Amino acid sequence: MAWEAFVRQFQGRVFALAYSYAGDREDARDLAQEIFVRLYEARGQWPTGDEFLPWLFRVARNRSVDYLRRRRVRRPASTADDAEVAELPDPAPGAEAQAIASDRRSLLHAALRGLSAISREIVVLRDVHGLPIQQVASILGVPLGTVKSRASRARVELAARVLALSRGRGDA
Amino acid sequence: MNRLTCDYVRAAILDPGTVPGDWVGRPDAAAHIQQCPSCRDWLEAFAAGEQAWAAEPADRFAAQVIDRTAGVEAVVCDLPLLADLDPGPGFAERVLMATSRKPATERWRPRVAGAWWAMVRRPRFAWEAAYVATVCWVLVFGNPVGAIEWSATSIRAVARERLGPPVNDLRADLDAWRSRIAPGPVPPAGEAAGPRVEPVPPVVRVWEAATNWLRSLTASVVNAIARAWERATSWSEQPAGERPAPPGEPPTDAARSPQ
Repeated sequence: MAWEAFVRQFQGRVFALAYSYAGDREDARDLAQEIFVRLYEARGQWPTGDEFLPWLFRVARNRSVDYLRRRRVRRPASTADDAEVAELPDPAPGAEAQAIASDRRSLLHAALRGLSAISREIVVLRDVHGLPIQQVASILGVPLGTVKSRASRARVELAARVLALSRGRGDA
Repeated sequence: MNRLTCDYVRAAILDPGTVPGDWVGRPDAAAHIQQCPSCRDWLEAFAAGEQAWAAEPADRFAAQVIDRTAGVEAVVCDLPLLADLDPGPGFAERVLMATSRKPATERWRPRVAGAWWAMVRRPRFAWEAAYVATVCWVLVFGNPVGAIEWSATSIRAVARERLGPPVNDLRADLDAWRSRIAPGPVPPAGEAAGPRVEPVPPVVRVWEAATNWLRSLTASVVNAIARAWERATSWSEQPAGERPAPPGEPPTDAARSPQ
């Protein structure tokens, strides 16, 4: 696959993953670019077949962790406000559908930010990007049982947060 | 008819469907409960629990469960919305521009370099390296201070072996030179033709020439300064009329007066 075609095909997924770590749109763009540069540098090591996507997520996750570590040294972690999240463009057509999807996404992002780091990573890899639970455990380097138990707990916690946030917005 | 057991009675109370027929109307069941104090106590506790359960709103817990699971399901269904976000215009071009300056690296070099830097950048690397170095040190030298002793002994031996002869020669030359230039007792006339004097080494000759030159230079400078000082003091002590002209002006000559 040509490099340019690869970038255009995977930019949305890589950016989404970077955004889940960075929590800020500009930082997520920088981080996604770093991830692509790392992928480009490792072009000779790309696995083929079913192993490619988990490998890509592993590279992206390692880059993101490094990025967050550097950013923590540089300045305290910023939290994006809901308005910024809501400005994220939506590929869905139609103004009304776009507005609804944007609102749901901002709600989910805000709720995700309230989770602990490991729970957020599990939810992002397992439920957002649809990786099998074994690969999530392999990428995160934690036992399979831990991922299973934390995944179910994180889902419940996320739902509770979404409910609380939606009620708060409804009250406001 | 078989005698009823406690387990049978309690199972029938908990789940009447497991017992065939109308077990409540059986006289042996009522007789067992009346005669068995443990089953009577158990039945009282069960009845109290049933009443407490009946006092709760019928659909409260079920509604909570449904709300909870429905919320989770809804959220999980919505989560794939976050899997693909538009990074904005120009992002792909920005990535392509950044990667166009970087050539694709070879296979083993980045792997080795990456593994090395990943290992070095870990916060615990310094401690681990120190630990490994200490273990190697002890394994090689036997004990922590053995290496220091071994190093000192080796350095001393090497110094003696390599630097010993030249240093001893130089020391002997210096001693001989010192004994020669030292003002010793004047030998008697009969001993003038004493033991034969060894030739002076070049190093000593050069050193003597340098010191003599420095001494003569210092003496001439000091003499010049002393003469200048004497002239200045004698000039200042003479009366004003008898003072000769300052050294910079030629002396006044009366024969060459304009008169």
